[in-house]
Amino acid sequence: MKIRTYKYFIKQSGKSIWRNKVMSLASIGSVMSALLVIGIFLILVLNVDYLAAKLESQVEIKVHLMDGLSKNIIEDINKEIKGLTGVKNSVFVSKDEALKEFSESLGENSYLLEGLEGDNPLSDSFVVTLEDPRLAPQVTLAIKAMSNIENVVYGKEELEKLLDITYFLRIGSLAIVAILFLISVFIISNTIKLTVFARRREIGIMKYIGATDWFVRGPFFFEGVLLGLIGSIISIGLLATGYYFIAKYIEQQMFGLLVISLMPFHEILNNLVIALLIFGVIIGSLGSMISIRKFLKV
Amino acid sequence: MIELVNVSKTFSDGHKALKNINIKIDNGEFVFLVGPSGAGKSTLIKLLLKEIDPDQGNIIINGKDVTKLKRREIPFLRRSIGVVFQDFRLLQEKTVYENVAFAMEVVEAPPKEIRRQVPIILSLVGLSKKSNLYPSQLSGGEQQRVSLARAIVNGPSILIADEPTGNLDPDTSWEVMKSLNEINHRGTTVLMATHAKDIVDAMRKRVIAIEDGTIARDDMKGGYGV
Repeated sequence: MKIRTYKYFIKQSGKSIWRNKVMSLASIGSVMSALLVIGIFLILVLNVDYLAAKLESQVEIKVHLMDGLSKNIIEDINKEIKGLTGVKNSVFVSKDEALKEFSESLGENSYLLEGLEGDNPLSDSFVVTLEDPRLAPQVTLAIKAMSNIENVVYGKEELEKLLDITYFLRIGSLAIVAILFLISVFIISNTIKLTVFARRREIGIMKYIGATDWFVRGPFFFEGVLLGLIGSIISIGLLATGYYFIAKYIEQQMFGLLVISLMPFHEILNNLVIALLIFGVIIGSLGSMISIRKFLKV
Repeated sequence: MIELVNVSKTFSDGHKALKNINIKIDNGEFVFLVGPSGAGKSTLIKLLLKEIDPDQGNIIINGKDVTKLKRREIPFLRRSIGVVFQDFRLLQEKTVYENVAFAMEVVEAPPKEIRRQVPIILSLVGLSKKSNLYPSQLSGGEQQRVSLARAIVNGPSILIADEPTGNLDPDTSWEVMKSLNEINHRGTTVLMATHAKDIVDAMRKRVIAIEDGTIARDDMKGGYGV
């Protein structure tokens, strides 16, 4: 194929997109909305994965103690915990320290906690770090069996819940993505069918003159790809803008209360751009291929 | 060179369009294909263009067995055969020049070659002065000559004309025949299916008459017959 042939393809496809403005807009719109939904699911899945990975790397066991234990007992518990297999370290956090930390984490909103100093609702605790996060369940059980323990919390439970969510999210989004994908392919193929129909005389003449199938297909193929690309670029723009502002809003408005943090903007953007451009091109080319198959038989 | 050997074609509805046909046409010949409607002329042309395939027999064009060509080789067969139809099949939104140039663009000829070749061919069919007009601004005979120009601009060795004068009055028909004759004199083999008795009788060329799917007559310098 020569460069001027590609120029010819692109010129022809641009012409017919312009000529069928309404249908072209409808196709771009449908690709765009399909990719918007696909993109939203992608963002969700990516963020849940991100969170899961983050949580996994920082599994620690929080041991809350009963209220009003003596220093000796606390020291005994500390020794006992440190003696368990798999425990790397155990750090005592008094309830006053816990309150202070909490208050600091609130920053300028710390006034919310004013007045609690005299009647601290938090409890003394140990933060236990492990040599291997996989040991968390068994260490947790061992600590739970000890006396004077109010409760034992470890991130793994949240992690497991999160992994369950990821699983359903994945299955759900796969189904929705597949449906939307098919709908967009269908709409694009219909749009291109219009072009093919409008040019069926020309196609017939081309075939008699001795144009190759690929040459006849070219303009329609490019039309599909172009429609898909425009749709995906718009959806990327919308999603990126949306994500940027939502991430910013969450950061500013949630007082840093959230333990979770969102995946950084540039990482999301990389993923979105690659995934949605590929999706757009595949939708477009599939749609056009379907619509011209039968017209080539001359 | 065109050679049909024991070619038969039966359509799916049971109609036997061609029965054991043998034809040999040498390079540079001018051949009329005559016969009543439905006798098999169109089927024969479709076979030569590999629009359809025969049930039996071989069709050899320029030394190649067409029946054995793969689908992706068909375009290259068609580049060696120019075709004109009764209904001209011009693109209305393109000028005369563009219609002819289009045939070269489709086979990816270099633009320089196109700019050189199109005017030469247009002058051959006598349409140099009309190159910027649209088909709707031309007479039927002129339109058919544009379609002739388009058919030969890529230099095919064979030209097939399927009732090229079918839509034309006698005067304009002769303009087209003049062009066809000229193209033949330049070395192109011409195969023309027609019902135009006066033209066939006047030209004194080889006539192959098909009737009911068989060759009824094959005369050098023949007439239309009855």
